[in-house]
Amino acid sequence: MSLWLLWKPTSPKARCGAPAWLALLFAVVATPAFAHVGSKDVYQRVSAGPYELFVTIRPPTVIPGVATVDVEANGEANAISVAALPLTGEAARFAPAFAAMQRDTTDAHHFTGAAWLMSSGSWQVKLAVSGAQGEATASVPVPATPISLLPMQRGLGLLLALLAVLLAVGLGAILAAAVREARLPAAVEPSATHRHAGRIAFALGVTLAIALFVSGKLWWRASATQYAQGLYEPDRLLATLDGNTLTLRIAAARENDAVHRAMTDNDLLLDHGKPIHVYAIRMPQMDAAFHLHPTLVSGWTFREQLPAMPPGTYKLFADIVHRNGFPETPTATITIPAGLVAAPLAADDAAATPPPLAAGTLGASDKLPDGYTMRWENAAPLKANTGYLFRFTLLDPAGHPAGDMQPYLGMAGHAAFVKADGATFAHTHPDGSAAMPALMLANPGSMAMSEPPAPTVSFPYGFPAPGRYRIFVQLKHGSTVETGVFDADVR
Amino acid sequence: MPPQTNSGKLPWPLWLGAAALTSTVLGGQWDLAWHRSIGRDSFWTPAHVIVYAGGVLAAVLCVAMVLRCTRDREAAAVSIFGLRAPLGIFLVGWGGVAMLTSAPFDNWWHNAYGLDVTILSPPHILLLLGERAVALGLLLFAAAAMNRAEGTPEFSKLQRVFLYLVALTVTSQMLFLEGFTLDYVLHNARAYLVLGIAIPPLLAALSQTSRFRWTATVCASVYTLLLLAEILILPLFPAHPQLGPVYFPLTHMVPTKFPLLLLAPAFALDLLWQRARSWKLWQIALASGIVFVALLVLFEWPFASFLLSHASENRFFGTMYFSFNARADGANRLRLFLAPQSGLVLLARLALASVCAAVTTLAGIVFGRWMREVQR
Repeated sequence: MSLWLLWKPTSPKARCGAPAWLALLFAVVATPAFAHVGSKDVYQRVSAGPYELFVTIRPPTVIPGVATVDVEANGEANAISVAALPLTGEAARFAPAFAAMQRDTTDAHHFTGAAWLMSSGSWQVKLAVSGAQGEATASVPVPATPISLLPMQRGLGLLLALLAVLLAVGLGAILAAAVREARLPAAVEPSATHRHAGRIAFALGVTLAIALFVSGKLWWRASATQYAQGLYEPDRLLATLDGNTLTLRIAAARENDAVHRAMTDNDLLLDHGKPIHVYAIRMPQMDAAFHLHPTLVSGWTFREQLPAMPPGTYKLFADIVHRNGFPETPTATITIPAGLVAAPLAADDAAATPPPLAAGTLGASDKLPDGYTMRWENAAPLKANTGYLFRFTLLDPAGHPAGDMQPYLGMAGHAAFVKADGATFAHTHPDGSAAMPALMLANPGSMAMSEPPAPTVSFPYGFPAPGRYRIFVQLKHGSTVETGVFDADVR
Repeated sequence: MPPQTNSGKLPWPLWLGAAALTSTVLGGQWDLAWHRSIGRDSFWTPAHVIVYAGGVLAAVLCVAMVLRCTRDREAAAVSIFGLRAPLGIFLVGWGGVAMLTSAPFDNWWHNAYGLDVTILSPPHILLLLGERAVALGLLLFAAAAMNRAEGTPEFSKLQRVFLYLVALTVTSQMLFLEGFTLDYVLHNARAYLVLGIAIPPLLAALSQTSRFRWTATVCASVYTLLLLAEILILPLFPAHPQLGPVYFPLTHMVPTKFPLLLLAPAFALDLLWQRARSWKLWQIALASGIVFVALLVLFEWPFASFLLSHASENRFFGTMYFSFNARADGANRLRLFLAPQSGLVLLARLALASVCAAVTTLAGIVFGRWMREVQR
């Protein structure tokens, strides 16, 4: 049985048995992020030869910094070691030395470790597994971006200020002693002239120290400014509506920043065969949601004839993956006017019009327009910063598990977790939250869908903060893409 | 006063001081090799431990001397806020506090801005300032003992200790400047400017203090031998980089680049200083600046061409060794000179380097003469 099918809400601090690995697997830090919005951690299932690995990577918020890595391995894995290296380019050929991960003393399947991400950009965490079934490796892509500014803590600032005063006075005193008496033979008392010169030297020494500290502080300020300018900003998404034609243009947030290098026209990788995936969600009630795939019409410009959309303000979340495997989700807002001429919903697009948030929390069963039902199998009270495996089943009109399941865009399903205020957005798949093209760069030739879709599909996710979230789950049967919508009140 | 004894044995504070500086300088040399070969994987690398062990020894020396001199009302000591100790010991203490201050600051810096990828950051400069203060304090401490012993049988023994400390200090300074003086930047005047500003004043000051005719030559020899030993020995030890990105895979420790041909200008400076005793100060300084830069360029310029040629790829010159993070498209691996200069631009920059060297040498001589008079 796959460990992913084990489900139980857990606390991140739990340290034993299956709940412990789930907790560590899914614990999420609430910080602004890159791929997705507001969810920086990577949850991924990968195969290393015969071993199934469930990997959680929590990247640092400053770069260079340490990413923590948790692995839950099924099978007979005895030892796992970890190394981080760029996902593409020359250095992708050479891994640094692998560092052994610590095996949990109470859960032999659970390993923890760390890896340094030394520069901004697209990285991978490589895992080397050994055990009864031999040795094998697998990689998980990780975007490395500096996203936080750390203020100086008051206590530390005070300590440093006191030490600076001590150093300044000390330098003055040493210079004073040097001038006053250092050259006098032992036992000769310094004269009044020597003492006077010593006092002048003291003043000069303190002044010199202050000048040094002031220049150091100016240098510090310049370094901090430079760092702040290097903080990650996602690409900008410029959305315009002309009739029912939506045009999206992507532009680098800044020229020449560390992450964005010179963007070229052919920079994007196809993700499930599409260069861009757009979720359009009507705000603030989240009562209309569309999964769209505008066509690339020229460098960085995408266009689509919109399907029938209820008028209102929509927030757009656009998933793209750069050529180096770096995923981003730029966002924009558009207003759909009433009476828009509608195009038919494109074959790979999906739509849903759930009740508004104001109508109350949705239940664990969503009756779909064509008579099918999507059921949230394990709805339960949810806590922030806790890992869950969200499991959904598609039932046919007779109430049986759907028998004609099809992959939707190459996956058994897609799930978007969106906070009611739009501040958190994560588009995940049953394998995890890493972008598929990046995963394919990390593990060439190994990412073909290995199992036919089942009517029950599970998605890993942990909410980064308390609040109300709406979950949009897309599963396909026959030629119909179903969008089930559920609510989660997270404490 | 402890450093003067009649037993003929070297007193323990000087042993302790010499051990502290040895530990810090050799540990620093090892640490640089560690960063080239392995990358930093924790604070507790052997190289770090040795560097900080030197700091601990210096702290022990400092505390013990202050307690002892204050208790005994030692006469050959200076007084600071009621505490007594030789001046150099107080400077060692000051350097120790500066180094200690840099530790939490550097830790915060890493948390705020990421692990440093450059040696030049405010907390690192504070650390370096502290290290230099400790070294200068130990030199002052040894110099005072030597100055007091002038004319006694103890003098030559103390002079040898002082020379040992001086040679370590110059080696440490050269290692610190390594980033500005790698073989592929040696056809640009900046390397000579940096060396001219930082090395002749040190040699001049310590030569003045030591009263030894071949101080600069001894320092350059020790520096050269230490680096040659590093090139010959370090690659015998296995190593693997522990930080990506890895651009140059390794299986062994990577030594430093071949030492600069400092021996030539150092020997010339010794000769100059022996013959220029009656010259005016500014004349000595000006001649020193010109001689240092001119001889360094004369020897190093063609030698750098040899180092970048494939003929130097052998175990002695060691130019086939590269740090794991040396990119294949970088000047270092391509064996190309970075921003080479020639003609009038080069001449003008080298003239500037000579003038700068003369100015700093002047300061060095004045300081050396002052150090020569220090009694406490």
